[in-house]
Amino acid sequence: MPLYFSEREIVLPGQLLSDDSKRSGEGTYVLGNKVYASTVGFATIKNDKVCVIPFKGAYTPQPGDRVIGIVIDVKPNGFEVSLGRHLIATIRMPDKKEVQALNLKVGEVVYAYVKESGLRGVFLEAGEKIKKITSGLLVSMHPSKIPRLIGRRGSMINMIKKETGCDMLVGRNGFIVIKGPSPLSEYAAVSAIKLIEKEAHSQGLTERVENLIRSIIGGEAGYER
Amino acid sequence: MKDEKIRLINEEGIRIDGRRPEELRPLRIEIGVLDKSDGSAYVELGKTKIFAAVFGPREVHPKHLALPDRALLNCRYHMTSFSVDERKPLGMTRREIELSKVIREALESVVFLEEFPRTSIDVYVEVIQADGGTRTAGLTAASLALAEAGIPIADLVAAVAVGKVEGHIVLDLCDLEDKFGEADMPIAIAPRLNSIVLLQLNGRFSKEEFKKALELAKKGIHEIYQKQKEALKNKFSEVSLMEV
Repeated sequence: MPLYFSEREIVLPGQLLSDDSKRSGEGTYVLGNKVYASTVGFATIKNDKVCVIPFKGAYTPQPGDRVIGIVIDVKPNGFEVSLGRHLIATIRMPDKKEVQALNLKVGEVVYAYVKESGLRGVFLEAGEKIKKITSGLLVSMHPSKIPRLIGRRGSMINMIKKETGCDMLVGRNGFIVIKGPSPLSEYAAVSAIKLIEKEAHSQGLTERVENLIRSIIGGEAGYER
Repeated sequence: MKDEKIRLINEEGIRIDGRRPEELRPLRIEIGVLDKSDGSAYVELGKTKIFAAVFGPREVHPKHLALPDRALLNCRYHMTSFSVDERKPLGMTRREIELSKVIREALESVVFLEEFPRTSIDVYVEVIQADGGTRTAGLTAASLALAEAGIPIADLVAAVAVGKVEGHIVLDLCDLEDKFGEADMPIAIAPRLNSIVLLQLNGRFSKEEFKKALELAKKGIHEIYQKQKEALKNKFSEVSLMEV
Protein backbone atom coordinates (compact mmCIF):
# COMPACT_ATOMS: atom_id res chain seq x y z
CA MET A 1 0.00 0.00 0.00
CA PRO A 2 1.44 3.35 -0.96
CA LEU A 3 2.15 6.01 1.62
CA TYR A 4 2.00 9.65 0.68
CA PHE A 5 4.58 11.00 3.10
CA SER A 6 8.18 10.57 4.04
CA GLU A 7 9.10 9.64 7.60
CA ARG A 8 9.14 12.67 9.95
CA GLU A 9 7.61 14.93 7.34
CA ILE A 10 5.58 17.86 8.65
CA VAL A 11 1.97 17.25 7.66
CA LEU A 12 -1.04 19.56 7.84
CA PRO A 13 -4.69 18.82 8.63
CA GLY A 14 -6.41 17.27 5.64
CA GLN A 15 -3.24 15.92 4.07
CA LEU A 16 -3.57 12.49 2.46
CA LEU A 17 -1.35 9.94 4.20
CA SER A 18 -2.40 6.47 3.06
CA ASP A 19 -4.90 4.50 1.00
CA ASP A 20 -5.36 1.82 3.64
CA SER A 21 -8.06 2.81 6.11
CA LYS A 22 -6.98 0.04 8.50
CA ARG A 23 -3.72 1.82 9.15
CA SER A 24 -5.29 4.93 10.67
CA GLY A 25 -3.58 5.72 13.98
CA GLU A 26 -3.32 8.61 16.39
CA GLY A 27 -3.71 12.09 14.88
CA THR A 28 -5.40 10.86 11.71
CA TYR A 29 -8.90 10.24 10.41
CA VAL A 30 -10.51 8.09 7.76
CA LEU A 31 -12.68 9.42 4.97
CA GLY A 32 -13.75 7.25 2.05
CA ASN A 33 -11.20 4.50 2.81
CA LYS A 34 -8.32 6.93 2.89
CA VAL A 35 -6.27 8.17 5.81
CA TYR A 36 -5.77 11.90 6.31
CA ALA A 37 -3.93 13.89 8.98
CA SER A 38 -6.09 15.73 11.51
CA THR A 39 -3.40 17.75 13.29
CA VAL A 40 -0.18 19.53 12.46
CA GLY A 41 2.75 17.30 13.30
CA PHE A 42 5.30 14.74 12.21
CA ALA A 43 3.96 11.85 10.18
CA THR A 44 5.37 8.53 11.25
CA ILE A 45 4.60 4.83 11.44
CA LYS A 46 4.01 3.29 14.84
CA ASN A 47 3.15 -0.41 15.15
CA ASP A 48 2.33 -0.51 11.45
CA LYS A 49 -0.15 2.36 11.85
CA VAL A 50 0.12 5.75 10.27
CA CYS A 51 0.34 8.32 13.06
CA VAL A 52 0.82 12.04 13.38
CA ILE A 53 2.79 13.21 16.42
CA PRO A 54 1.23 16.59 17.20
CA PHE A 55 3.39 19.62 17.96
CA LYS A 56 0.87 21.17 20.27
CA GLY A 57 -2.42 20.31 21.82
CA ALA A 58 -4.27 19.10 24.85
CA TYR A 59 -2.97 16.18 26.85
CA THR A 60 -5.00 13.01 26.41
CA PRO A 61 -4.29 10.53 29.18
CA GLN A 62 -3.11 7.10 28.06
CA PRO A 63 -3.25 4.01 30.27
CA GLY A 64 0.05 3.63 32.09
CA ASP A 65 0.92 7.34 32.11
CA ARG A 66 2.31 8.69 35.33
CA VAL A 67 0.49 11.84 36.38
CA ILE A 68 0.43 14.30 39.26
CA GLY A 69 -2.96 15.55 40.39
CA ILE A 70 -4.51 17.80 42.99
CA VAL A 71 -7.33 16.35 45.07
CA ILE A 72 -10.47 18.42 44.55
CA ASP A 73 -13.08 16.20 46.19
CA VAL A 74 -13.17 13.40 48.70
CA LYS A 75 -16.04 10.95 48.28
CA PRO A 76 -17.03 7.91 50.36
CA ASN A 77 -15.77 5.55 47.65
CA GLY A 78 -12.85 7.47 46.22
CA PHE A 79 -11.37 10.79 45.19
CA GLU A 80 -11.62 13.30 42.40
CA VAL A 81 -8.34 14.65 41.19
CA SER A 82 -7.63 17.60 38.92
CA LEU A 83 -4.96 16.94 36.30
CA GLY A 84 -4.82 20.58 35.26
CA ARG A 85 -6.78 22.36 32.53
CA HIS A 86 -10.04 20.58 31.78
CA LEU A 87 -9.05 17.12 32.99
CA ILE A 88 -10.60 15.65 36.08
CA ALA A 89 -9.71 12.08 37.02
CA THR A 90 -11.42 9.72 39.42
CA ILE A 91 -9.85 7.27 41.81
CA ARG A 92 -12.38 4.58 42.67
CA MET A 93 -11.89 2.49 45.77
CA PRO A 94 -14.33 -0.30 46.50
CA ASP A 95 -13.26 -0.46 50.14
CA LYS A 96 -14.08 2.48 52.38
CA LYS A 97 -11.20 1.62 54.68
CA GLU A 98 -8.80 2.24 51.86
CA VAL A 99 -10.12 5.76 51.45
CA GLN A 100 -9.65 6.44 55.12
CA ALA A 101 -6.22 4.86 55.16
CA LEU A 102 -4.95 7.21 52.49
CA ASN A 103 -6.25 10.16 54.50
CA LEU A 104 -6.20 12.59 51.59
CA LYS A 105 -7.66 16.04 51.97
CA VAL A 106 -8.80 18.51 49.36
CA GLY A 107 -5.81 20.39 47.99
CA GLU A 108 -3.30 17.62 48.57
CA VAL A 109 -1.18 16.29 45.75
CA VAL A 110 -0.89 12.70 44.56
CA TYR A 111 1.34 10.84 42.10
CA ALA A 112 -0.56 8.10 40.31
CA TYR A 113 -0.90 5.94 37.21
CA VAL A 114 -3.66 6.25 34.62
CA LYS A 115 -5.75 3.10 34.52
CA GLU A 116 -8.40 3.94 31.97
CA SER A 117 -9.30 6.90 29.81
CA GLY A 118 -12.27 7.22 27.56
CA LEU A 119 -15.79 8.52 27.13
CA ARG A 120 -16.67 7.69 30.71
CA GLY A 121 -13.85 9.80 32.05
CA VAL A 122 -10.33 9.29 33.34
CA PHE A 123 -9.62 6.76 36.07
CA LEU A 124 -6.45 6.40 38.07
CA GLU A 125 -5.06 3.18 39.53
CA ALA A 126 -6.11 2.67 43.12
CA GLY A 127 -4.19 0.84 45.81
CA GLU A 128 -0.46 0.85 46.34
CA LYS A 129 0.35 2.70 43.15
CA ILE A 130 -0.93 5.96 44.59
CA LYS A 131 1.73 8.05 46.25
CA LYS A 132 0.82 10.98 48.41
CA ILE A 133 3.19 13.91 48.03
CA THR A 134 3.71 15.62 51.35
CA SER A 135 6.28 18.29 50.55
CA GLY A 136 7.95 20.01 47.64
CA LEU A 137 7.31 22.65 45.06
CA LEU A 138 4.50 22.14 42.55
CA VAL A 139 5.26 23.62 39.15
CA SER A 140 3.19 23.37 35.99
CA MET A 141 4.30 23.28 32.39
CA HIS A 142 2.55 22.81 29.06
CA PRO A 143 1.94 19.04 28.68
CA SER A 144 3.17 19.04 25.08
CA LYS A 145 6.62 20.04 26.29
CA ILE A 146 7.04 17.30 28.90
CA PRO A 147 8.89 14.96 26.47
CA ARG A 148 11.44 17.72 25.97
CA LEU A 149 11.88 18.11 29.72
CA ILE A 150 12.56 14.40 30.03
CA GLY A 151 14.78 14.29 26.96
CA ARG A 152 16.13 11.26 25.16
CA ARG A 153 16.08 8.38 27.61
CA GLY A 154 15.80 10.88 30.45
CA SER A 155 18.97 12.79 29.54
CA MET A 156 17.58 16.24 30.29
CA ILE A 157 15.79 15.43 33.53
CA ASN A 158 18.74 13.42 34.85
CA MET A 159 21.06 16.32 34.10
CA ILE A 160 18.81 18.76 35.98
CA LYS A 161 18.57 16.37 38.92
CA LYS A 162 22.34 15.93 39.00
CA GLU A 163 23.22 19.60 38.62
CA THR A 164 20.73 20.96 41.14
CA GLY A 165 20.67 18.05 43.54
CA CYS A 166 16.87 18.20 43.54
CA ASP A 167 14.52 15.29 43.57
CA MET A 168 11.92 15.68 40.81
CA LEU A 169 8.68 13.92 40.01
CA VAL A 170 7.31 14.55 36.54
CA GLY A 171 3.65 14.02 35.71
CA ARG A 172 2.81 13.51 32.04
CA ASN A 173 -0.08 15.95 32.49
CA GLY A 174 2.28 18.88 33.03
CA PHE A 175 2.65 19.00 36.81
CA ILE A 176 6.11 18.65 38.28
CA VAL A 177 7.06 18.34 41.96
CA ILE A 178 10.50 19.57 42.97
CA LYS A 179 12.13 18.85 46.30
CA GLY A 180 15.60 20.20 46.85
CA PRO A 181 18.20 20.61 49.56
CA SER A 182 17.98 24.41 49.47
CA PRO A 183 15.69 27.14 48.11
CA LEU A 184 18.41 28.12 45.67
CA SER A 185 18.62 24.64 44.17
CA GLU A 186 14.84 24.57 43.82
CA TYR A 187 14.95 27.98 42.18
CA ALA A 188 17.53 26.70 39.72
CA ALA A 189 15.35 23.71 38.82
CA VAL A 190 12.28 25.90 38.28
CA SER A 191 14.30 28.30 36.10
CA ALA A 192 15.47 25.33 34.05
CA ILE A 193 11.87 24.20 33.54
CA LYS A 194 10.78 27.68 32.49
CA LEU A 195 13.65 27.88 30.01
CA ILE A 196 12.74 24.51 28.50
CA GLU A 197 9.11 25.54 28.19
CA LYS A 198 10.08 28.75 26.41
CA GLU A 199 12.70 27.32 24.09
CA ALA A 200 11.46 23.75 23.63
CA HIS A 201 11.92 23.95 19.88
CA SER A 202 15.54 25.03 19.75
CA GLN A 203 18.68 22.99 19.38
CA GLY A 204 21.43 22.62 21.95
CA LEU A 205 18.99 23.23 24.77
CA THR A 206 20.57 20.76 27.20
CA GLU A 207 23.78 22.76 27.19
CA ARG A 208 22.03 26.07 27.79
CA VAL A 209 19.97 24.63 30.62
CA GLU A 210 23.16 23.29 32.17
CA ASN A 211 24.83 26.70 31.94
CA LEU A 212 21.79 28.39 33.47
CA ILE A 213 21.73 26.03 36.42
CA ARG A 214 25.47 26.41 37.00
CA SER A 215 25.27 30.18 36.92
CA ILE A 216 22.43 30.19 39.45
CA ILE A 217 23.98 27.62 41.77
CA GLY A 218 27.42 29.18 41.44
CA GLY A 219 26.02 32.54 42.52
CA GLU A 220 26.97 34.22 39.25
CA ALA A 221 23.40 35.18 38.51
CA GLY A 222 23.29 37.29 41.64
CA TYR A 223 21.34 34.93 43.87
CA GLU A 224 22.79 34.24 47.28
CA ARG A 225 23.07 30.83 48.73
CA MET B 1 -20.71 67.48 -7.15
CA LYS B 2 -23.81 65.97 -5.64
CA ASP B 3 -24.85 64.03 -8.71
CA GLU B 4 -21.41 62.60 -9.28
CA LYS B 5 -21.47 58.90 -8.51
CA ILE B 6 -18.42 56.99 -7.38
CA ARG B 7 -17.16 54.80 -10.17
CA LEU B 8 -16.28 51.47 -8.61
CA ILE B 9 -14.81 50.03 -11.75
CA ASN B 10 -13.51 51.93 -14.79
CA GLU B 11 -13.68 51.28 -18.54
CA GLU B 12 -10.50 49.21 -18.53
CA GLY B 13 -11.96 46.99 -15.81
CA ILE B 14 -9.71 48.33 -13.07
CA ARG B 15 -11.36 48.53 -9.67
CA ILE B 16 -11.44 51.43 -7.24
CA ASP B 17 -8.35 50.20 -5.39
CA GLY B 18 -6.44 49.43 -8.58
CA ARG B 19 -7.07 45.69 -8.75
CA ARG B 20 -8.28 43.59 -11.65
CA PRO B 21 -11.69 41.90 -11.15
CA GLU B 22 -10.23 38.46 -10.35
CA GLU B 23 -7.45 39.71 -8.09
CA LEU B 24 -7.14 39.27 -4.31
CA ARG B 25 -5.88 41.98 -2.03
CA PRO B 26 -2.36 41.40 -0.63
CA LEU B 27 -2.60 38.69 2.00
CA ARG B 28 -0.38 38.39 5.04
CA ILE B 29 -0.68 35.53 7.51
CA GLU B 30 1.07 35.11 10.84
CA ILE B 31 0.63 32.23 13.22
CA GLY B 32 1.23 31.99 16.96
CA VAL B 33 1.04 35.72 17.62
CA LEU B 34 -0.68 35.69 21.02
CA ASP B 35 1.16 34.24 24.00
CA LYS B 36 -1.69 33.48 26.37
CA SER B 37 -3.87 31.60 23.91
CA ASP B 38 -3.49 27.96 22.94
CA GLY B 39 -3.46 28.89 19.29
CA SER B 40 -3.65 32.18 17.43
CA ALA B 41 -3.36 33.71 14.00
CA TYR B 42 -3.27 37.13 12.41
CA VAL B 43 -4.63 37.71 8.94
CA GLU B 44 -4.24 40.91 6.98
CA LEU B 45 -6.15 41.13 3.71
CA GLY B 46 -5.57 44.56 2.26
CA LYS B 47 -6.78 46.95 4.95
CA THR B 48 -8.75 44.27 6.80
CA LYS B 49 -6.82 43.21 9.89
CA ILE B 50 -7.96 40.35 12.11
CA PHE B 51 -6.73 38.42 15.12
CA ALA B 52 -8.11 35.01 15.98
CA ALA B 53 -7.41 33.16 19.22
CA VAL B 54 -8.36 29.68 20.34
CA PHE B 55 -8.60 28.52 23.94
CA GLY B 56 -9.25 24.98 24.94
CA PRO B 57 -10.32 22.31 25.23
CA ARG B 58 -11.16 23.67 28.65
CA GLU B 59 -13.84 23.46 31.28
CA VAL B 60 -17.30 24.64 30.27
CA HIS B 61 -18.82 27.62 32.03
CA PRO B 62 -21.62 27.52 33.04
CA LYS B 63 -21.25 23.82 33.67
CA HIS B 64 -24.76 22.76 32.65
CA LEU B 65 -24.01 23.64 29.03
CA ALA B 66 -21.45 20.84 28.77
CA LEU B 67 -22.33 18.09 26.31
CA PRO B 68 -21.75 14.50 27.38
CA ASP B 69 -20.57 13.25 23.98
CA ARG B 70 -18.65 16.12 22.44
CA ALA B 71 -17.08 19.49 23.01
CA LEU B 72 -18.94 22.75 22.89
CA LEU B 73 -17.64 25.14 20.27
CA ASN B 74 -18.00 28.76 21.30
CA CYS B 75 -17.29 31.50 18.86
CA ARG B 76 -17.18 35.25 19.28
CA TYR B 77 -16.79 37.54 16.32
CA HIS B 78 -16.21 41.04 17.54
CA MET B 79 -15.26 44.32 15.94
CA THR B 80 -13.16 46.68 18.00
CA SER B 81 -14.74 50.08 18.41
CA PHE B 82 -11.95 51.69 16.37
CA SER B 83 -12.16 49.22 13.49
CA VAL B 84 -14.64 51.27 11.47
CA ASP B 85 -14.92 54.92 10.39
CA GLU B 86 -17.57 55.79 12.94
CA ARG B 87 -16.92 54.47 16.42
CA LYS B 88 -18.75 51.20 16.97
CA PRO B 89 -20.28 51.07 20.46
CA LEU B 90 -18.91 48.39 22.75
CA GLY B 91 -20.78 45.15 23.12
CA MET B 92 -22.20 42.75 20.63
CA THR B 93 -24.50 44.09 17.98
CA ARG B 94 -27.08 41.96 16.18
CA ARG B 95 -24.73 41.65 13.24
CA GLU B 96 -21.86 40.43 15.38
CA ILE B 97 -24.05 37.85 17.08
CA GLU B 98 -25.14 36.52 13.70
CA LEU B 99 -21.61 36.38 12.34
CA SER B 100 -20.45 34.57 15.48
CA LYS B 101 -23.09 31.97 14.71
CA VAL B 102 -22.22 31.49 11.04
CA ILE B 103 -18.50 31.28 11.81
CA ARG B 104 -19.20 28.72 14.54
CA GLU B 105 -21.32 26.62 12.22
CA ALA B 106 -18.67 26.73 9.51
CA LEU B 107 -16.00 25.59 11.97
CA GLU B 108 -18.22 22.89 13.48
CA SER B 109 -18.17 21.08 10.16
CA VAL B 110 -14.39 20.58 10.29
CA VAL B 111 -13.53 20.26 14.01
CA PHE B 112 -13.59 16.76 15.55
CA LEU B 113 -15.57 17.85 18.58
CA GLU B 114 -16.28 14.29 19.76
CA GLU B 115 -12.65 13.90 20.82
CA PHE B 116 -13.14 16.15 23.84
CA PRO B 117 -16.43 15.36 25.58
CA ARG B 118 -17.63 17.70 28.34
CA THR B 119 -15.26 20.51 27.40
CA SER B 120 -15.45 23.71 25.45
CA ILE B 121 -13.32 25.10 22.67
CA ASP B 122 -13.48 28.88 22.51
CA VAL B 123 -12.70 30.79 19.35
CA TYR B 124 -12.33 34.56 19.47
CA VAL B 125 -12.23 36.55 16.25
CA GLU B 126 -11.31 40.16 16.84
CA VAL B 127 -11.49 42.66 13.99
CA ILE B 128 -8.82 45.31 14.44
CA GLN B 129 -9.53 47.13 11.20
CA ALA B 130 -12.48 46.50 8.90
CA ASP B 131 -12.41 47.02 5.15
CA GLY B 132 -14.85 44.45 3.84
CA GLY B 133 -14.60 40.68 4.00
CA THR B 134 -14.12 40.47 7.74
CA ARG B 135 -16.18 37.33 8.27
CA THR B 136 -14.25 35.50 5.57
CA ALA B 137 -10.84 36.69 6.75
CA GLY B 138 -11.94 35.92 10.32
CA LEU B 139 -12.79 32.37 9.33
CA THR B 140 -9.45 31.98 7.55
CA ALA B 141 -7.69 33.14 10.71
CA ALA B 142 -9.84 31.04 13.06
CA SER B 143 -9.10 27.80 11.22
CA LEU B 144 -5.36 28.51 11.40
CA ALA B 145 -5.62 29.26 15.11
CA LEU B 146 -7.41 25.92 15.61
CA ALA B 147 -4.67 24.11 13.71
CA GLU B 148 -2.00 25.83 15.77
CA ALA B 149 -3.79 24.93 19.00
CA GLY B 150 -3.43 21.27 18.00
CA ILE B 151 -7.16 20.68 17.90
CA PRO B 152 -7.97 17.88 15.44
CA ILE B 153 -9.62 19.26 12.34
CA ALA B 154 -10.55 17.53 9.10
CA ASP B 155 -9.29 20.39 7.00
CA LEU B 156 -8.40 24.05 7.10
CA VAL B 157 -11.09 26.50 6.07
CA ALA B 158 -10.33 29.20 3.56
CA ALA B 159 -12.86 31.90 2.77
CA VAL B 160 -13.32 34.81 0.42
CA ALA B 161 -16.12 37.09 -0.76
CA VAL B 162 -17.22 37.46 -4.37
CA GLY B 163 -19.70 40.00 -5.66
CA LYS B 164 -21.12 42.01 -8.48
CA VAL B 165 -19.94 45.54 -8.95
CA GLU B 166 -21.39 47.64 -11.77
CA GLY B 167 -22.18 44.50 -13.71
CA HIS B 168 -18.80 42.83 -13.27
CA ILE B 169 -18.21 39.72 -11.15
CA VAL B 170 -15.33 40.58 -8.83
CA LEU B 171 -13.29 38.72 -6.22
CA ASP B 172 -12.58 39.85 -2.66
CA LEU B 173 -14.74 42.94 -2.24
CA CYS B 174 -13.45 45.91 -0.32
CA ASP B 175 -15.69 48.02 1.89
CA LEU B 176 -16.80 50.45 -0.85
CA GLU B 177 -17.58 47.68 -3.31
CA ASP B 178 -19.53 45.87 -0.60
CA LYS B 179 -21.59 48.96 0.22
CA PHE B 180 -22.26 50.31 -3.27
CA GLY B 181 -22.05 47.14 -5.35
CA GLU B 182 -25.03 45.08 -6.47
CA ALA B 183 -24.23 41.79 -4.76
CA ASP B 184 -21.92 40.35 -2.13
CA MET B 185 -21.44 36.64 -1.53
CA PRO B 186 -19.07 35.40 1.19
CA ILE B 187 -18.01 31.79 0.67
CA ALA B 188 -15.97 29.48 2.88
CA ILE B 189 -14.69 26.14 1.63
CA ALA B 190 -12.81 23.26 3.20
CA PRO B 191 -10.68 22.63 0.09
CA ARG B 192 -9.53 19.06 0.78
CA LEU B 193 -13.00 17.92 1.67
CA ASN B 194 -14.26 19.96 -1.26
CA SER B 195 -17.25 21.13 0.74
CA ILE B 196 -18.76 24.56 1.13
CA VAL B 197 -19.06 25.39 4.82
CA LEU B 198 -20.43 28.91 4.51
CA LEU B 199 -22.33 30.67 1.77
CA GLN B 200 -24.32 33.85 2.16
CA LEU B 201 -25.62 36.21 -0.47
CA ASN B 202 -26.65 39.83 -0.25
CA GLY B 203 -28.19 41.22 -3.44
CA ARG B 204 -29.00 39.37 -6.63
CA PHE B 205 -27.22 37.07 -9.03
CA SER B 206 -28.61 35.44 -12.13
CA LYS B 207 -27.98 31.71 -12.44
CA GLU B 208 -25.08 32.27 -14.83
CA GLU B 209 -23.59 34.98 -12.63
CA PHE B 210 -23.83 32.76 -9.59
CA LYS B 211 -21.95 29.96 -11.34
CA LYS B 212 -19.28 32.36 -12.52
CA ALA B 213 -18.98 33.89 -9.05
CA LEU B 214 -18.63 30.47 -7.43
CA GLU B 215 -15.87 29.48 -9.83
CA LEU B 216 -14.06 32.74 -9.15
CA ALA B 217 -14.39 32.22 -5.39
CA LYS B 218 -12.95 28.70 -5.70
CA LYS B 219 -9.94 30.13 -7.49
CA GLY B 220 -9.44 32.76 -4.78
CA ILE B 221 -9.89 30.23 -2.02
CA HIS B 222 -7.31 27.95 -3.59
CA GLU B 223 -4.83 30.82 -3.51
CA ILE B 224 -5.60 31.59 0.14
CA TYR B 225 -5.37 27.91 1.05
CA GLN B 226 -1.86 27.68 -0.40
CA LYS B 227 -0.81 30.70 1.67
CA GLN B 228 -2.37 29.16 4.80
CA LYS B 229 -0.45 25.92 4.33
CA GLU B 230 2.76 27.81 3.67
CA ALA B 231 2.31 29.87 6.85
CA LEU B 232 1.65 26.77 8.98
CA LYS B 233 4.65 24.94 7.50
CA ASN B 234 6.91 27.94 8.16
CA LYS B 235 5.69 28.22 11.72
CA PHE B 236 6.42 24.60 12.48
CA SER B 237 9.49 23.99 10.34
CA GLU B 238 11.71 25.28 13.13
CA VAL B 239 10.22 22.59 15.32
CA SER B 240 11.46 19.89 12.99
CA LEU B 241 14.99 20.71 14.05
CA MET B 242 14.20 19.72 17.59
CA GLU B 243 15.24 16.34 18.83
CA VAL B 244 12.12 14.57 20.01
